Amino acid sequence: YPLFQRGGPQLRIFRPNFFMLAVRPGVPQPEDTVQFRVSMEMTKLDIRNYLERIYNVPVAAVRTRIQYGANNKRNHRNQRVKKPDYKVAYVQLGQGQTFQFPNLFPEKEQDSETRSFDDFRDKFMEKEKQKQEGDPRRGGVPDWFGL
Amino acid sequence: MAAVGARLLLRPGRRWFSETAPGAPSPPVSPLYPPVVASITAKSKVAKSRRLQRFNQRVHEAATVEEKLRLYGKLQRPKYTVYPQTFALNADRWYRSFTKTVLVPGMPPRAAAAKPLVAAAGATPEGGRAPEPAAEAPEAPESAAGAAPSLDMSELRSLACDAILQESFYQNKKRPLLYRDQDHTPGPFLTQLVSTLAAFLSGRNPLLAASSLDLNPEVNYYWHHGEEVVVHGHRKGRVDPVRFQIDDNPHLQIRVPKQLPEVVPLESDLGDVPVIDHKPSKLPLFKKQYENKVFIGSKVADPCCYGHTQFHLLPDKLKRERFIRERLEDQIEVVYRSNGIASLFAWTAAQAMYQGFWSEADVTRPFVSQAVVTDGKYFAFFCYQLNTLALTAETIKNNPRKNICWGTDSKPLYDVVEDGNVKGFNDEVLLQLVRFLLNRPKEL
Repeated sequence: YPLFQRGGPQLRIFRPNFFMLAVRPGVPQPEDTVQFRVSMEMTKLDIRNYLERIYNVPVAAVRTRIQYGANNKRNHRNQRVKKPDYKVAYVQLGQGQTFQFPNLFPEKEQDSETRSFDDFRDKFMEKEKQKQEGDPRRGGVPDWFGL
Repeated sequence: MAAVGARLLLRPGRRWFSETAPGAPSPPVSPLYPPVVASITAKSKVAKSRRLQRFNQRVHEAATVEEKLRLYGKLQRPKYTVYPQTFALNADRWYRSFTKTVLVPGMPPRAAAAKPLVAAAGATPEGGRAPEPAAEAPEAPESAAGAAPSLDMSELRSLACDAILQESFYQNKKRPLLYRDQDHTPGPFLTQLVSTLAAFLSGRNPLLAASSLDLNPEVNYYWHHGEEVVVHGHRKGRVDPVRFQIDDNPHLQIRVPKQLPEVVPLESDLGDVPVIDHKPSKLPLFKKQYENKVFIGSKVADPCCYGHTQFHLLPDKLKRERFIRERLEDQIEVVYRSNGIASLFAWTAAQAMYQGFWSEADVTRPFVSQAVVTDGKYFAFFCYQLNTLALTAETIKNNPRKNICWGTDSKPLYDVVEDGNVKGFNDEVLLQLVRFLLNRPKEL
């Protein structure tokens, strides 16, 4: 490839090796704010260009912070185990768009078979537990106690 | 034994042998024991409320306003610093929720204020206008402004153009430093314009003649609004009020000894206050702990203790070209509005505190002030009426009053300056500015 100078033809294209992970915010965020975990080397400008050029998402503002991963846990050799650090980006969307993190594990509608099976299973477990316990008239005293 | 028995008989309160006439009122007996109330020092909600009541009592009974302010801001805790000139998106909505303000677009009906404008015209046009209903008043000043101050319009226009040209054309200035564009030309132009206009109009408006013009003053206000639970630290888990502080430096300020008249009655409801459930730190707003200051620009003993007009200059960070480049055109107006609302709330509330009102002792009369926010070329006008100071969690519950802010969009004063000529001069903006400066109480 010939050496690139400004204004010349772009023969090589570099795709970013970054990844952005959209996460559910731990604390409630305003409607236009999306929370991402990004690579530690990304800057606010990088995040803005990434979203605008690759995904065509209008970005109004980006704020970042670095979350320090704790170093308190110990393994079986009493060495400290560090949780990795990561960068969190709060992106405010432009043009009045809003975003709500979806519920990834919705409760599935149970059909009558599974419901009756669950009921049967619960009743069976209750009966087993009652068999394990002794006579209720003894008030919890074990059966080997006595004359 | 007998002596003891005699002493027992003679002890006061034992009335075995005394005769009291039936029906006669018994003398008031002071209770033997103090009243049974909850403890003050316990770790309970009742004790906390008793401590708060004691503190409120202390502030109520303070002899001077300085003592009241000292006690009000005595306890320092981390608080949110609210910046009137901020780059945060949709900041004006958040600021309106913090200060319980209703934003009304346009200027308030100026039926009363229009009359002083024509005071110079003569008695007859004014006498003809007085019985007119308020709806027609906005039209009448246009014609009267054409009649009476039309000569003055040209004079005022020449004053304004002189100020513009002096700063940008006649004077030889070096290039502005990096990010110091606003201090280079628009700052001195604004100072020059306001001081010349105020001096020119002080003949018409005796309030201006008695006013005090501050250059780069400081305006601070500290207040509580809402409640939150402390997250980290040794005070974790306690319920605290959310504290805010505004520290503002307007470019210019006019303070007057008499208060501006109220625009609408104290209990009027002109709109809705936005309610935002999220914490203020999502705006983004950051916490810091420092002195809780309440200041209008001069100390309490100053006779000019009421506010008339503030002039704000937007910094380089918030100029129009930057917003247009980042395709955030709707945030341009947000910047003007947030500046107007926050600065005027801080100023009017500090004025009210200087008169002895505070969140437990709400204002009995509305406090009105005006502001002009500009970036050198575009002017936006704001008028603020403070109806309530009670924004803490307990006092806001039964408080139907809301503060009101009237504001316009930003309009250019002139289009461009070329070769010693000011092209595209906008008379409406100048007229609005003059109306602002001529605003005064009805007695004067």
